Amino acid sequence: MLALRLTRAARPAVQVRRLLVAAASAGTGFLLLSCLGYALAHPGAPGTAVPRLVWCVAPLAATVYFALAVARTDPGTRPRPGLSAVGLGPARLMAVSVLTTVLSCGLGSLLALMLFLQLRGDLAGTPLDGAAARFLATDQPLPLPAALTLLTPVPALAAATVAVALRPRDPRPPAGPPRSPGRPGAYGHPAPRETFGAYGRFGVRPRTPAAARQAAVPPPSPGATATTVDEPDENGTGVLEADEAGAPGRLPSPAATPAGLPWGIAAVAAGLAVQAYSGRPATGPALTHLPAGATAVLAGWVLTAAGLVLAAPGLTHLCGRLLQSVRPGALRLLAGRALMAEAPRIGRPLGVACAAAAATYAMTVLYEGPATSRGPLAALGALVVTGSTAATLLTAAVEARQCRAETTAALLRLGAPAGMLRTAAVLRAVALLALFGPLTLALAHLAALASAR
Amino acid sequence: MEAPPDNDVLWARTLHFRHPDGSPGLAGVSLGVRVGEILAVAGPRGSGKTTLLHCLSGLLPVRDGEVWFNSSPVHTMGPTARERLRRDHFGWIEPAPVLVPELNVWENTALPLLLRGIGRRRAKVAALEWLERLDAGEHARRHPRELQQAERQRVAIARALAPGPTVLFADEPTAPLHHGDRAHVLRTLTTAARSHGITVVLATHDARTAALADRTVSLLDGRRVRTLPLPEAAETEGRAACSLSV
Repeated sequence: MLALRLTRAARPAVQVRRLLVAAASAGTGFLLLSCLGYALAHPGAPGTAVPRLVWCVAPLAATVYFALAVARTDPGTRPRPGLSAVGLGPARLMAVSVLTTVLSCGLGSLLALMLFLQLRGDLAGTPLDGAAARFLATDQPLPLPAALTLLTPVPALAAATVAVALRPRDPRPPAGPPRSPGRPGAYGHPAPRETFGAYGRFGVRPRTPAAARQAAVPPPSPGATATTVDEPDENGTGVLEADEAGAPGRLPSPAATPAGLPWGIAAVAAGLAVQAYSGRPATGPALTHLPAGATAVLAGWVLTAAGLVLAAPGLTHLCGRLLQSVRPGALRLLAGRALMAEAPRIGRPLGVACAAAAATYAMTVLYEGPATSRGPLAALGALVVTGSTAATLLTAAVEARQCRAETTAALLRLGAPAGMLRTAAVLRAVALLALFGPLTLALAHLAALASAR
Repeated sequence: MEAPPDNDVLWARTLHFRHPDGSPGLAGVSLGVRVGEILAVAGPRGSGKTTLLHCLSGLLPVRDGEVWFNSSPVHTMGPTARERLRRDHFGWIEPAPVLVPELNVWENTALPLLLRGIGRRRAKVAALEWLERLDAGEHARRHPRELQQAERQRVAIARALAPGPTVLFADEPTAPLHHGDRAHVLRTLTTAARSHGITVVLATHDARTAALADRTVSLLDGRRVRTLPLPEAAETEGRAACSLSV
């Protein structure tokens, strides 16, 4: 009931986001149901029905990803300090969040079922015929358990993902020496045990001559690296020394490039190479029965997309770094640094959106012909995937904005013109577009070239 | 109505304020702030100190009453003009140090200067000077989250002082700190303000903090009062008063 109350009381923008989740879920549900219909209409051809079902994984993944992004930005389920005391703590809020997600995804699935039944003519009116009859199986009764089984994955997967992503977690103790002075074992961190650990293992350390070891004062004891870390008098200075020595320190600074850029580039290159070398497929093979060569192309595509997703945070960070380089003023400094700090949050959805856009573009280039040749279902799938990824990207931007609300308020109190902050946001968007737009186009062109060679 | 003295840099006349939700904020506060003085606005929590500072600094629009800054009426200015006034003449220190997390310490300190359109090199020099003066010079290249709360608060003070504001508003600048850090932060703030002739309006609920100021204005329930009722000392006899049966 609480979830319903919180759901009902939300602002229109939040409701629109939830309705978009419902729409994406409805699209995916309809695709799954039409797979069922196709299988019903062609009981003798499982070889063509299974790939259809497998193709539904892409919209399903995009929908779940979008649902997760919306659940993250839901203001109704943000931790509220005041409500924790009345029992609405993080765990309960997670449950509320999961329920809200199930509600919107379930609504979408229900809509899909209604639409499917309507088109089949089960509810009222006459069934569609023609090309649509191929996947509607109008002459067969619809097995309801099968339909329900196919409709469950979207809400169930979305709920599970939201539950895992939003589960209450204690903030992790910092990896480096903790800054809080105190005896070891205070604040719940157990004092490290006296073990030999990796230090004492044979061959881990370069061997020091005995004379040199004697000269070193005091002689390093086994396990020294592990035990001294938590000692009170070393606490305050540990981070300082690391920083002043020029080392980045153990705290991940916002200037640190997100890992994964090299891996992403390698994966993109490998994916393109696989596509280029995997024999020439027949021009425009049907998506439902792929020859072996086309499967390799598909694998290359998956590899490229994964590489793009991996590399995107690093590229976003690079974009921000370029934006704030060479004697920046306040505008470029704020825009660039914010982009660098938000790179992990924005980068991943951006990579997914770019991969989806590149795939759509390459498809359009590869399958040059009337759109009807691919059928309405392929168009619906592409729409769900691109729409969901684009909406996820926008939602991530909203999340970043929510996280920076306090800083923005402080800047405004400082006297920063609101127009300048808006210009900085526009500058960020333009910089991202300038980097990722051509990149997506180039990747799509390369992929299309490699595949249609 | 009497004319305000010539050396008042900021004054308010019969300032009334009611929050948007209808709860009372200020009820007819009049005060004047002289040039170069440190004025403490004292009072318990909820007595309208922060609201008064917001009204004086132009963060909240004043509908009822007048606020004058150097003979220019703040209460008739629009949001843009007040924003410019805040940027060019006012500094602001918050209870908790809100620094821009992705900028390092000297960039944070130089930000108000950069916002005023001062060149990067000059802004950096000024910021580093102020950080040195406030004992935060060694942190200049670190990021805010690597600092402790008191260090961050000193950086926030340096950020407020760096552009050389005419009036500096400090809203409970020592609230989240321990007593040792509190004294240090306050001493640096008052010393810097006195040596540079910066007027400071300091909101505090702490009598020891207020003692550092030149003058104290006491607020209670949104009104200016001469004396503040002190909390009574805990006595064993007083316990009976809490009993409902009496």
